[in-house]
Amino acid sequence: MMMQRPPEPILHVDMDAFYAAVESRDDPALAGVPVLVGGAGGRGVVASASYEARDYGIRSAMPMARARRLCPHAVVRPPRFDAYRQVSAQLLDLFRSVTPLVEPLSLDEAFLDVGGAVRLLGEPAQIGSHVRARIHAELGLRASVGVAPNKFLAKLCSGKAKPDGQLHLRAAEVDAYLLRLSVRDLWGVGEQTAAALDRFGLRTVADVRAVTETSLARIVGDAAAGQIHRLSRGQDARPVSPYEPAKGMSAEETFDRDIADPDLLRTEVLRLAEKVARRLRRGDVAARTVSLRLRYADFTTISRSRTLAVPTDQATAVHREVTALLDALRLKGAGVRLIGVRASNLVPSGAARQLDLLGDDRWSRLERAADVARTRFGEAALTRGALLDDDAPRSGDAAAAAEDWRSRREGDERPGSGAD
Amino acid sequence: MKFRAERSEFADAAMWALRTVGARATLPALSGVKLEVSGDRLSLSSTDLEIASELSVAVQADRDGMALVPGRLLGDVVRSLPNAAVSAEVDGDRLHLVCGRAQFALRLMPVEDFPALPQISEQAAIAVMKAEEFARTVAQVARASSTDDARPVLTGVSLEASAGSLTAAATDSYRLAVRTVPWDAGAETTALVPRRALDEARRSAEQLGAEVRIAIEPSQVTFTFGDRRLTSRLIEGKYPDYRQLIPVGFERRLAVDRAELMEVVRRVSVVGESNTTATPVTLHVTSDTVRVTAGSGEVGQAEESLPGTLEGEPIEIGFNPRYLSDGLDVAVSERVVLEFRDELKPAVLRPAPADDQDDSAKEQVADFLYLLMPVRL
Repeated sequence: MMMQRPPEPILHVDMDAFYAAVESRDDPALAGVPVLVGGAGGRGVVASASYEARDYGIRSAMPMARARRLCPHAVVRPPRFDAYRQVSAQLLDLFRSVTPLVEPLSLDEAFLDVGGAVRLLGEPAQIGSHVRARIHAELGLRASVGVAPNKFLAKLCSGKAKPDGQLHLRAAEVDAYLLRLSVRDLWGVGEQTAAALDRFGLRTVADVRAVTETSLARIVGDAAAGQIHRLSRGQDARPVSPYEPAKGMSAEETFDRDIADPDLLRTEVLRLAEKVARRLRRGDVAARTVSLRLRYADFTTISRSRTLAVPTDQATAVHREVTALLDALRLKGAGVRLIGVRASNLVPSGAARQLDLLGDDRWSRLERAADVARTRFGEAALTRGALLDDDAPRSGDAAAAAEDWRSRREGDERPGSGAD
Repeated sequence: MKFRAERSEFADAAMWALRTVGARATLPALSGVKLEVSGDRLSLSSTDLEIASELSVAVQADRDGMALVPGRLLGDVVRSLPNAAVSAEVDGDRLHLVCGRAQFALRLMPVEDFPALPQISEQAAIAVMKAEEFARTVAQVARASSTDDARPVLTGVSLEASAGSLTAAATDSYRLAVRTVPWDAGAETTALVPRRALDEARRSAEQLGAEVRIAIEPSQVTFTFGDRRLTSRLIEGKYPDYRQLIPVGFERRLAVDRAELMEVVRRVSVVGESNTTATPVTLHVTSDTVRVTAGSGEVGQAEESLPGTLEGEPIEIGFNPRYLSDGLDVAVSERVVLEFRDELKPAVLRPAPADDQDDSAKEQVADFLYLLMPVRL
């Protein structure tokens, strides 16, 4: 027999002061102390502040210098993203033990659709309490949960429930609840949109509900008007879609003048391979397929790819494969406008790794060590000898000219981003 | 050029020569098979510039001469010939083929465009091996070579001849297969042979039997089977010093039934994600049992145990199931031994001689080794 889908099946789980909470958990000396996580240097900003620190008016994204003036005795810690990622993975496992429909938004928050879990685990609100209790018991951390009919309302509720709380918004109470809120509570309404609405005296959800969608469109444009119209009525049809990892990562370079020198092209391939490989490592993925994209002077664009026996996140391997693809084209001096390197067919890299007999693991260690050095000392800290000419620090004008000389484009491709 | 030949003999010779016909559109002559009548023999040859094949058969020759016939067309024709004697004659730019009541006129290509094929020089080091032994050696080793031409040297099989023995080795950097066989040429020489050439030579050895003569020269290797000859250019570059990769000694040694372990690995690895990377299989080895597990949270899990004898401390070690199965497949003996140091160091797979085997059989299993790198779990 099918159970009827509950009226409020969506949970939004949001960790409280996540980075700071992980730091306090891992160092008992920080219990009850204002903790700030972020860059301690002159221009660092607060990435996360414990609730003790928030009592002093400190908020995330605030310059660290200002935060320290507000609370001089706060403990400042540099972020440990590896630790946060690890906790995040544990969180995901916990969520997935409740329902397969988990959509992570970031390291510390996720939507859960528990509509199919009620027969096993009880009402959504009970599941929410259960998830919070388990997070506390198993991970030693606190989370706030919103329980609501849809994603927009669930996220709204978790925000209102903070810290360490849970808010259950019943379908029947949605209207009454929304009408009390400010337009700023509507998802997607930022400072500018709010200011535009404010000029017409529209400050609360009740205000915008009283206006037709056509009138709203004249103030904020069609797309935003449609969204405000729907959200102000508590309507949000977006499903909870389980996480899909990035399909691929690519970096490419458009030259301002056509390049025919094969050595220059190979150097460029090395630079792009470095970029792509670093992003693979940062994303904890490895690629099974690497591709070369090339646009000739006449705009003819080709791409060539090959699939590897063992996935890689190493620039050395990506470079070797793409160079072989480049050499196989037998360019013979043809002018090239654009060259790109892409890594796709991604698999999680952390899990299992085929070891290499011929000592390529040394490259792996080297590249990881370089990642660490770049994170600590900045991008220019380390580079390959072959790239030295281009990466050497340049004085203002020359650097600007060099940047001007080429335009860059790179990015992670997500499903639906329309890349390729 | 004019000759008469037996259909089966002609068809067999043509099909053999066709295997090295080139596909590159830039040099059309390479897509042809060259026929040449001289004295009472017809020779057929083809090359893709990497590998060349050449053979000769006795025919009833009426007129000497040569012709370059489009390879694919020749193949289609000989496959469809009725069972009767074949007579062939060049007339202008056509080859007229008559077989029973069937007649073909095949358009020829300019024979001058066909490159001269490499010959064996006088100084070549030549050794003779039993075809069966050669075929088995190639089958055991070649599979470990790489298919990734970004690392050209790894796509080859290394042959190293020294006084009395020939060592064949291949690695794709994840596993290494090494086999040593007796060798009757004295000269010390090395060659890096493309895997495809060795596979062709193995197929010929399996098909033709008898003996194979192997001539290693600085830039080519030639395999001769009676009147047939395969010549391959060698891969240039320095082959990795694989001997230093082979561990000396071990901490743990597992003896296990080969077929049984293969079967278990095959069954358990079914839960691997075939579309991405193969999910590793994990061997949980204790004193008298090998438990093999595989799987992930997303796909599912599988496990199965089999008996085995372990000397040393228990170990848990992961392997790519394909690499492990490949090794088990070619370690031809009833039982195999796996030697481990630890779960991150290469494991060595060897055939294990049965107690009742005579000494020469023991020697034969002792000269094969398959090294495989584990998967860090």
